[in-house]
Amino acid sequence: MIHIRGLRKVFPGVGHRPATPALEGFDLTVQDEEFVCLLGPSGCGKTTALRILGGLLRWEAGEVLIDGRTVTGPGTDRAMVFQNFALLPWADVLTNVAFGLELRRTPSEGRRQTAKRWLEAVGLDGFESHYPRELSGGMQQRVGLARALAVDPKILLMDEPFGSVDAQTRRVLQEDLVRLQQRDRRTVVFVTHSMEESVRMADRVVLMSPRPGHVVETVDVPFPRPRSAEVRKDTAFVELKEYLWSRLEAMQPPSEREARIR
Amino acid sequence: MADRGRVGNAGWRSSLVALLAGAAAWELAGRLLRFSFLPPFSTVVGASWELIQSEAILGHLSVSLVSLAIGFVPAVALGLTLGALMGRFQHVEYLFDPYLHALLATPNLIFVPILFALFGVGRGTQAAIVFLYAFFVIVSNTMAGVRASDAGLMEMARSFGANRRQAFLTIVVPGALPLVMAGLRLGMARAVKGMINGEMFIALMGLGALIRSYGGRFEADKVLGVLLLVNVVAVACVGLLQALDRRLMRWAD
Repeated sequence: MIHIRGLRKVFPGVGHRPATPALEGFDLTVQDEEFVCLLGPSGCGKTTALRILGGLLRWEAGEVLIDGRTVTGPGTDRAMVFQNFALLPWADVLTNVAFGLELRRTPSEGRRQTAKRWLEAVGLDGFESHYPRELSGGMQQRVGLARALAVDPKILLMDEPFGSVDAQTRRVLQEDLVRLQQRDRRTVVFVTHSMEESVRMADRVVLMSPRPGHVVETVDVPFPRPRSAEVRKDTAFVELKEYLWSRLEAMQPPSEREARIR
Repeated sequence: MADRGRVGNAGWRSSLVALLAGAAAWELAGRLLRFSFLPPFSTVVGASWELIQSEAILGHLSVSLVSLAIGFVPAVALGLTLGALMGRFQHVEYLFDPYLHALLATPNLIFVPILFALFGVGRGTQAAIVFLYAFFVIVSNTMAGVRASDAGLMEMARSFGANRRQAFLTIVVPGALPLVMAGLRLGMARAVKGMINGEMFIALMGLGALIRSYGGRFEADKVLGVLLLVNVVAVACVGLLQALDRRLMRWAD
């Protein structure tokens, strides 16, 4: 279980730039096997919260616990998927997927087998010896996903993973992630700024305020699991999406709203 | 991949055309101007050929190449080490950076009297000159390469539990490779230059010494003939490194 209370994170100022408060009084609880989306305007600290959970950032105040223990750094119970994929350009797909296992000193044969299995699971069998730059963005993120899953994490931390691929690919990736998730039941914290994406995938959508970020509202997504792709046509789905949009729109800074009228 | 290949072939052809044009211009200038210190290209090639056929050049060539190797290998080993340390640790950089930049800009032959006092006439001095010519550019490029490591990849490695050593080996080293290899190529070209300059300055044997003695006798065709051979040596040495580079950087093609 993830338990965050009263989290504050301030990025120190550099030179004449003042310090930036990223998170203030941020609370979040995620149950085991729950899929939670962090949704909010850009720059609201969603990614910061995720990186703190991943053990990549320290924080100023509050508690961040996973299964009752304070997060002190990255751990084998968590794995991250990055918006820009963060694949090793000099390593082939199989080596990339096996990267986490390599760091954990898994013997090379077992490493290859596990990596192969996960490549198949994300639909990339046959691409083992390709280099990342030979793959489309969507395929690269499949590699990123396989790399995270290959270390068999309890918690999957996903930072706008489908944010930089085109709309069709994005939808296919979403459906594939839902399918994998229904099979393996991991805890997922998924950062996104897409209302549709959050309603399609999450058990709970956590709406965040603009900087300094805190939770404004938590919305339960009522659709039962397994949830088919057809759910997008449901009126309740559309209404929920619209509701989230109205909340987000109200949070836009005035300057953005004026810019749109012109 | 096909694109790269095609550009590569076209590039090779352009290089050949440029070389032929240069040779033709040289030939023409030599024949028309009739300066005694600028013999036509064909005369110089003839002189080169004669030098190759005479046994004497082999002795000089091997002396030069041995100095080159004795100077270049430690320049690589120490240059990579110091460059990596400077790129990795800020305080090491502050310690050596002023020296590095000062020495990169210093004409290395200034040190020859000191080296001469230390090592005497002969191999030690020549190798030390080669070392000085190659060392600083290797340090500088290695430092830049290590510094250029991708912050996103470093964070990714950390998130998967990489310790400092693992992050250095899996992210920093492969990321630094393109700049490090460029440094080695530059270092090699400068090492050949150092080898000749050093021998021209103070040596009894070696290609540089040969240039000096022909120069003293105003035998311009032979001076340029030796130079042509030096160029062949330089191109061969750099080409060797380039082949290694291409092998290591196959992922980028």
